[in-house]
Formats: sequence, C-alpha cells, structure tokens
Amino acid sequence: MVLALVAARGLHDVAQATLNGLTLGTIYALGAVGLTLVYGILRLVNFAHGDFLAFGAYMAYLVNVTWGLPLVAGIFFAMATTALLGLLFERVMWRPMRAKGAGFLQLILMSIGLAFVIRSAIQWFWGTEIRVLDVDVTDSVTFLGLRIGQTELTVVVLGIAVLVAVALVVRFSLLGKRMRALSDSLELAETAGVDTRRVILYTWLFAGALAGLAGVLSGALTNLRPELGFELLLPIFAAVILGGIGNPFGALTAGLVLGIVIEWSTLVVEPRWKVTFGFVALVIALVIRPEGIFGRARAI
Amino acid sequence: MSPLPLAFTLEAFTNFGFWSGVLVVAGIYAVVSLGLQLNVGYTGIVNFGQAGFMAVGGYSMAILVLEAGLSFWLALPAAVSITMAFGVLIGLPSLRLRADYFAIVTLATAEVVRLAAQNARGLTGGNKGLYCEFEAASQTCFDDSWRSLSDSILGFVENFWADPEPLLPLLIAIWTTVLVAILGLGYVQGTPWGRVLRAIREDEDAARALGKNTLLYKLQSLAISALLGALAGFFLALFLATIHPDDYEPIVTFFAFGVLILGGLASYRGVAIGAILLWTLLEGTRFVELPISEEKTAALRFAIVGVVLIVLMAFRPQGMFGKRQEMVLGD
Amino acid sequence: MATEADRGGALLDVEGVVKRFGGIRAVDGASFGVAAGSIVALIGPNGAGKTTLFNAITGFQRADRGSVRLAGEEVLGLPAYAVARRGMVRTFQITRALAAMPVVDNMMLAAPAQPGERFRNLLLHPRAVRGREREVREEAIELLEVFGLRDLAGDYAGTLSGGQRKLLELARALMAQPKLLLLDEPMAGINPTLGRRLLDHMQRLRRERGMTFLFVEHDMDVVMGHSDRVIVMAAGRVIAEGEPRQVREDPAVVDAYLGGAA
Repeated sequence: MVLALVAARGLHDVAQATLNGLTLGTIYALGAVGLTLVYGILRLVNFAHGDFLAFGAYMAYLVNVTWGLPLVAGIFFAMATTALLGLLFERVMWRPMRAKGAGFLQLILMSIGLAFVIRSAIQWFWGTEIRVLDVDVTDSVTFLGLRIGQTELTVVVLGIAVLVAVALVVRFSLLGKRMRALSDSLELAETAGVDTRRVILYTWLFAGALAGLAGVLSGALTNLRPELGFELLLPIFAAVILGGIGNPFGALTAGLVLGIVIEWSTLVVEPRWKVTFGFVALVIALVIRPEGIFGRARAI
Repeated sequence: MSPLPLAFTLEAFTNFGFWSGVLVVAGIYAVVSLGLQLNVGYTGIVNFGQAGFMAVGGYSMAILVLEAGLSFWLALPAAVSITMAFGVLIGLPSLRLRADYFAIVTLATAEVVRLAAQNARGLTGGNKGLYCEFEAASQTCFDDSWRSLSDSILGFVENFWADPEPLLPLLIAIWTTVLVAILGLGYVQGTPWGRVLRAIREDEDAARALGKNTLLYKLQSLAISALLGALAGFFLALFLATIHPDDYEPIVTFFAFGVLILGGLASYRGVAIGAILLWTLLEGTRFVELPISEEKTAALRFAIVGVVLIVLMAFRPQGMFGKRQEMVLGD
Repeated sequence: MATEADRGGALLDVEGVVKRFGGIRAVDGASFGVAAGSIVALIGPNGAGKTTLFNAITGFQRADRGSVRLAGEEVLGLPAYAVARRGMVRTFQITRALAAMPVVDNMMLAAPAQPGERFRNLLLHPRAVRGREREVREEAIELLEVFGLRDLAGDYAGTLSGGQRKLLELARALMAQPKLLLLDEPMAGINPTLGRRLLDHMQRLRRERGMTFLFVEHDMDVVMGHSDRVIVMAAGRVIAEGEPRQVREDPAVVDAYLGGAA
C-alpha cells in the first residue's frame, strides 16, 4: 500500500505526510498509553481522558503565558498537575465506586459527567476564546527536502523521546511489569501478593502525566480551546482499541500508525476528510478485529 | 439595589413563549431518549449513536425535499426508512461485539455521519447546513408543508385563544409523539417479544440457550431506536428551520443519557419527566441573573449536567423512577 | 468408530469433535452416543474438556472439526439458538437465572412456539398472541408447582437461594420441551436433599416423558446410582463408555483419575 501511495503521489509528498503524521501520532500515542493502562487494569472506559489532555494544555498556558515562564516549565507543571488530577479522582471517585461494585455503564456515565465538569471548569476560567501558547509558529527547518516547523520538530522529538522512555519503563522496570500484570489479570496479581492499590495509583500518575504532556504538545501545535479534549478523545480511543486494550506497546504503536494513516489519507482524499477517515478506520477495525492488531480476545 | 446577590425576574418566569421553547427541546430529547431507554434500559445494548440517527433522519428528510423534490409528507416516511436501514446496517456487524466496543463503535459512527455531513458540501451544505431563506420568496424550504399545516392549526386555535403561541402546533406534534411512544413501548414491553429483550439484557447466553435468536432482537431494538431518533431529528429540524452538523454533536447523545439516568432506567414515563426536568434545570438558570458572564453561565450549565450524571450514578443509579431490581448495570 | 455402545438408535451422535484454543486442543476428537430416553453421565478429571465439549456441541463455541447429529440431523456449525430450537437445551455451570426478571417470566420465556415473540405478530395477530400467552402462563405455573417453586412465581429470580435457582434453571429448561437436556454440573453447590430432589425429577421425567439427559457430574455416588451409562473424558478425548460398574473398573479410567489431578 505504501508503494502504491508513493507511486501515486511521489516520494516527497508521502514523506512529508509521514512526517506530519508522526507529529500527530505522537500526541495520540502519549494519550493512548495512559488510557490503555487505565482501561486494561480498571476496566474503566475513561471518557474524561481527553479533558485531562485539555487540562494539561491549559495548565501549561497558565505557566507559559500568564506567568510568563518558559514552556519547559509549563510542560513540567502540566505533567505534574494532571498526574495529581488523575490521582485525585482515583481516590475520590473511582476507588469508592469499585468498592461498591459499580458496573461498566455506571462508570462510563460517570466519566462522561467528569469530562463535562473538567471542561466546564476550563471554560469558566479561560472562556471559549482561542488561546495560544508562547511558541514559535513561523520558523521552520528543512532537511532532506522536507519542511517541518520549529515547533513541530520539538514536539516530535520530545514526544518520541518520552515514548521511548515510556516503552523502556513499561518493559523493564518493576512498576512497568506490575502494571502489565495487573492489566492481564487484576485478581491474579492480587493473589500473587502485589500491592495492587499502589500500582493503580502509580498508573493514574503515569497516565495523567502523559496526558498532560500530550495536551501541551497538542496546544503547542495548534491552539487551546475547551473542545480540545473531546476532539482528541476519539482518535486516542481508536489507538487504544487498535493496539489491544491494556497493551501499552500496542497503544503506542497504534497511536503513531493512526496519525500517519490519517495524514496519508490527505494524499488520497481532500484534507478536510482526514478526521472522518480516522473514524471510519476505527469502525472497520473494530468490526473486523475487535481485539486490535496486537491484542488478545478477552472478556471485560 | 437589591441586598441579594441574585435577582429573579418574575416576569420572565411566566413567559409562555420561553417555556414553549423549553418544552419543545425537552420533547425532542424525550423522543430520542425513549429510543435509548429501549436500547439501554430494556435490551441492554449501550447505544452511543443516537445523535447519528437524528442526523441521518434530519438530513435525509431535508435532502429528499430539497434535492429530490419529494413532498414533505412523503419524505418523512422515506427518511425514517433510511434511518432504520442505517441502524440495521450498523448493527449487523457491531452488535456481536462486547458492550464497551459497541458503545465506542456507535459513538464513532455517529461522528462519521456528522463529519460526513460537514464535509460533503455538495449534498449537505457542509458547514453552512441546510436552511431556509426567509427573504427569497421563490426559494422552497424543506419545512414549507409543515409551515402551512402549522399555520392552519394556529388559525383554528385563534378561535379560542386570541394570540396563540406560534410553537403550539410543534408542541402538540412532539408531545403527542412522546405519548404515543410511551404507550406503545410500554405495551410492547409486556409482550413475549419484550420479555425476550429483557432476557437479553440480563444474560444473552441464557436467552440463546433457550432458542432465542438474540441478534435479531437486538437489531429490532436498534431499528426502533433509529426510528425514534429520526423523528427527533425531524422535530429538531422543524424547530430550528435549519439542519446543521453542529446540532448533532456527541453531546446530544450524552445529554440523552442524562435524561435517561435522571428519569430512571427501565421507565418510559421517567424519560418524559427526566427530559422536562433536565431542560427546565438547564434553561431555567437563565432567569437567575448571576453576576457572571454569558460564557460562564454556559459553562455552569455544562457543569450541572456533569455533576448530575456523577451524583446519580454514584448514589442513585436507577434514577428517579427506575426499579433497583431491574438494574443490570453491573456486569 | 467402533465402540461398545450400539449407536443405532442414538438421539445424539457425536463424532470426532475437535476444539482448539490457540495451540491447545481442549477437545481432541471426542466421539460418543446418547440413546433416547437414557440418563447419561459425563465424567472426567478437571480440565478434561467436558464444558468445552458441551459448548462445542451446542453451538456456543465453534467446533473446528467433527460431526454432531441430533435425531439424525447435523447440528454442528449451527448457532447456539438454532441448536436449542432443535431440541438440545443446555444449562450452565454457574446458574444463569435471569435475576432481574420474575420467576414466572423466567419460565414463560422458555416456552416454544410463542407467536408473541415475533414483532409482526404483535401487530397482526394480537388475539393469538394473548391466547398463547395465557396457555404458557398456565403451563409455567404448573411446572413451578411440580418443582415446589409456585409460591415464588412473582418474586424476582435474583431473590431466590442458590438451590432454588438451580431448580428454576432445570424447570425453565424443561419448559422449552427439549428432546435432550444437557446439564452442566447440576449438583454443584446445592445441599444433598435438594440434589436428591433434582435427581428424582430427572428420573420421573425420563419415565413419564421419555426425556433424555446428559449431565456432567463429579460426585461418584450420584453417577453410580442414577445414570444408565457413563462417558469418561480425559485430555479432551473419550476414553471409556459404558455401564457405571464397568466404567468404574476400567483401568484406563482409574489411570486417568489417579494419574492426573482429580
């Protein structure tokens, strides 16, 4: 298929689209890794995850624009605060609901309610007008005949670096192994004596931090608006599902691939259709292979 | 110089025109949520695509009238059929998926419909939407036939009521539909057919082991929900006199779930009451003149729905009128 | 496949059924027959593949290979509901009483030939629907009476005790008027008195209605005392088939139970 595209539109266009796709995909991947772990371990379809990204973006705005500090500080602040936000809701909402034996529909609807609350809080404090982070939007870099904006480049480099770090942590660290074990089977991990409560907390911190970062990067690439969260939510869900629920490596890869595929679609159809294309891909994928490209069939 | 930080405008409370608008929207949500109740509360299928059904219904109707030149009264059943066929088409491959996947597929499909409407400019008017030019006398509008019917009803009513509310015919149409739907669905629930649906909600495998073709029943449930969604789409189009992608965003589906939860799972009457309650709550806050901006009020309303969802799910998941024993939320 | 059983008049004829999960053959070529009007026990150590076999022959899981004939008709590959419709009804290891429905609704659900279950008929033939519904309700109450559950008819099935739920599941399966009833561990988790009652029902139904039963069981006393024939499975295969006493003394069977984890 790649060859067909290359033949049709030329190597340069495909490469450029791939680069754009990588940028977009990094954001999806960062959002998806956290979401898939939460989904896999807690069986929670967290519709509020998108708004975590938005929250992170606005936190960075606070630091970067309102307080005038460099973006780096904004990134750290965003990651920290979003991580804590995740932790907060785990203690206050999710853990008590699990103790009550809440079912899947209850949890989904609560997460939707939570999404509303976070989004309206953002709208309360920052209004609906579009805001931008203090980033360089004009400068660009050219290499190998491909153009990439300064900001885009930073996003990609930073994003991929973090993703690699994340992959290493999940693969090799004790925490990573524990998270994956819980994702496979919470009961089994419990009987094996793992302190599941603690791992769950760390998972939320992890997911929150990554979401915050993804949000900042997205805000840097485009702009900040309250709907940001929901706009990113569905593609991130797509990446989670395509990668196999509970599989962080799958989510990571699927996020990148999804971003690239969406951008490649602009070579074939008109650009304004690209988001639609992404969803169609999701629907088709779910129908053909619900356990995702990398997943195993599992009961919820 | 009121000592109170809040001020209520009493006059506005009795503004029938305003409340008619609220009741129209509440009615539209009641129709769409009744379909959702059939799906979620009685069949156990978690359908997040109602907004999509509304869009397919509304757009089909308008396109048939404007592009294909069909009469409005013919376009209605045609559009309903299209929407139901769409529902079955979606359901066939996806109803065998497990609940959370199905939820996401339906949500994604509804978004595909909306985005397609946004981008297929030739067919749907894209981001401009399909609307009526009031000034251009020669231009037909998709709701012309409705308008003339509405006018004649108003003419009739003028015999009794000097200055009738212009929304009255629409109100009557919508709430009659709600009533008929509640009665119809309520009746159907008590039949053997309805019993199979409830069994599917409980435990699909047990139903299959007793010889029930569960996929067929789930498709029928989805098709009926699509029908109600299409009707809701029509009413919305008539109310706004435009069809625009923004009116079919996922938030509509989420609000419908809010109505569902408020009124209670497995209660059709509850849906009507929940719809009225929710929209009264949302719109009624217009009267409270808080010392905050318009934007913030909008945000507050959003937050209220969110809090209602959270609190209800945490403490009273069966809603106001739902029966606790009939709840199969935990699985 | 020559075996000791004469499969000439078999109601159920299973041959060479294979079901794989990934690399594991949960059922590895099972063949056996069940004669009409008999009570047959299916035994075997844990992990022998008994439940998977049930799933495969009733259509709840897709068998990879083999043949399953019910009253001469091939049913392998049919969806689960179609198999049930043809007269092979199964129950589950963990009772699936439809908890949020009243007991009598549970029962009425199972009745066959209900015109009211087709949406068209609700609109076109409402009288026929109502008539059959009345019949079904009467039958349901009668059957509940037989099982001693009549007083609970209006209660939600979720409020019943474990033992009562097992009885309900059996009663409900019978409402479906099956030719062959597959019971997956019907005695599990209920007290001996109730268990005996269940067995008495089975014997009576066989006597009075000529019903056929195939049930999975771990309790040897039950198996010895109440079954006509015993089929023994181990590692996905049928390793012995015959009368209870014969099977008990079969060295292969002894081996399977002592060799593997019981």
